[in-house]
Amino acid sequence: MPDLATLLEILIIVVKVSVISGILFSLPLPLTWIERKVAGHIQVRLGPWRVGPHGVLQPFADMVKLLIKEDIVPDRADKFLFKLAPLLSMIPAFLVFVAIPFGEKFAIPFVGKEITLYLSDMNVGILYILAIGGLGIYGMILGGWASNSKYSLLGGLRSSAQMISYEISMSFAAIGVVMLTNSLNLLEMVRSQSGSFLDWNIFYLPVGPVWFVIFIIAALAEINRIPFDLPEDEGTLAAGFHTEYSGMRFSFFMLAEYVAMVTISVLTVIMFFGGWNPPLDISIFHLVPSIFWFLGKVILFIYFFMWLRFTLPRYRYDQLMTIGWKVLIPLSLVNILVTGLMII
Amino acid sequence: MSKGPSRIAEFIKKALFIDFVKGLSITLKYNVSRSITLKYPDEEKWVPDRRFRGQHTLNKDENGRELCVACELCAKVCPTKCITVIPMEDDTGRGIADRVAKVWKVELARCMFCGYCEDACPTRAVRLGRDYELACLDLSCTTREKDELLKPQSIPETIQGGFVVRSKFERTPEGIRVVPDLRMQKKRNI
Ligand code: SF4
Ligand code: SF4
Repeated sequence: MPDLATLLEILIIVVKVSVISGILFSLPLPLTWIERKVAGHIQVRLGPWRVGPHGVLQPFADMVKLLIKEDIVPDRADKFLFKLAPLLSMIPAFLVFVAIPFGEKFAIPFVGKEITLYLSDMNVGILYILAIGGLGIYGMILGGWASNSKYSLLGGLRSSAQMISYEISMSFAAIGVVMLTNSLNLLEMVRSQSGSFLDWNIFYLPVGPVWFVIFIIAALAEINRIPFDLPEDEGTLAAGFHTEYSGMRFSFFMLAEYVAMVTISVLTVIMFFGGWNPPLDISIFHLVPSIFWFLGKVILFIYFFMWLRFTLPRYRYDQLMTIGWKVLIPLSLVNILVTGLMII
Repeated sequence: MSKGPSRIAEFIKKALFIDFVKGLSITLKYNVSRSITLKYPDEEKWVPDRRFRGQHTLNKDENGRELCVACELCAKVCPTKCITVIPMEDDTGRGIADRVAKVWKVELARCMFCGYCEDACPTRAVRLGRDYELACLDLSCTTREKDELLKPQSIPETIQGGFVVRSKFERTPEGIRVVPDLRMQKKRNI
């Protein structure tokens, strides 16, 4: 018979897991709305407007539409893999959040119990995230292959090549940060950046900004966002690997994509922008709970990705490969050397 | 030799993402700029300028007589041959002459709103008006007959146009109409 303390621990973990998955599942609702609004305003139009004030209920309408849409499985598709693929790309995107810390500790008022704002304090957090995050490719390749359609197959192959190429430079950027902070643990990474904004990794001159640029470019390619959204290049490939998907299955891919965008924003904030540390080490800033600093920075990055999407045109596939292999990887190698020299 | 510095400049430009930052700043500016989309039809509506060429209208003179003398010039000049005019004798004072149009109809589905008909008209009877909500569910409603065209325009000549007014959406037995609030409540120029 476990004692009360153990039960409480278990309860806390269950609550944390359900809160995080609840938030992740409902993420597309606000994010699609914001994305369409940002798109609208950048293109000098309004964006969603009719459903609810400023169209805030539009995502719910979209959700209902996706739920009641006919679920089509192509005739000679590999039925099992076709149904498995969306899950395969969604589950890794969710699993990543096991390792992501959202803050240090949080004291529940009146109870006198402190809960940690992360599910697990993993020693190799960054490694885990890169490894699990990379598993999402399976969903894309299998989805593309199982659909029994040339467009999907090409889209899936393209995305696998793209993701493998950029996984390298993304991991190099992670290595750079690991060298700067001396730890693979995400909590340690944030702790080592405490202090004012000059202590953040991005301001670790001269290598910090370069790592940041490498990471952000590689991450954009990794999560298939414009300018690197070649897997779903509608000009040449219809919708790429998810051409044949409809209804809920399609929305799983979309969910995975949005969650990946959040993951990348979170990682960028943890790795380069001091996590939940306020920008200046003064007492007023410490009054604000650290989670707000963290979320604020993450939201800024999510906005940045959307802003980018409606600024840049899509790269050609050979350009994408050139940037990956001829620019980012050599640059990362040189940068590792410089970083090594600096920390000796 | 002369290429050297420019190449270096090019490289620095690329390395510091100058063009990229420029692009971002432009989109950021648009992000806070005013949208040009109208909340048509239930909140805003555009009132066209007087020169706008929308659906035809047949004018009358100040005594209420029809100006059209059924000379058929408009039908002749029309490039798409979408106007049909059939004249008849009528000395009851309905028109400004004894000759008036028995039939005057225009096929809006073929009309390209070039305005040649109004140029050709010797009596300034036919004018292209400012009604632009011409959509309908079948082709039968694309033909506009004389009676309809003789009715006064929905936007009076006195209104200058070229701006956006408040409007609302009205369900009438004949269908759905967009009713602009024409009391010069100028919302904005476009
Ligand atoms: S506007 Fe041009 S096309 Fe239309 S009826 Fe007049 S002349 Fe014909
Ligand atoms: S509208 Fe003008 S041009 Fe046409 S038939 Fe009448 S008078 Fe002649």
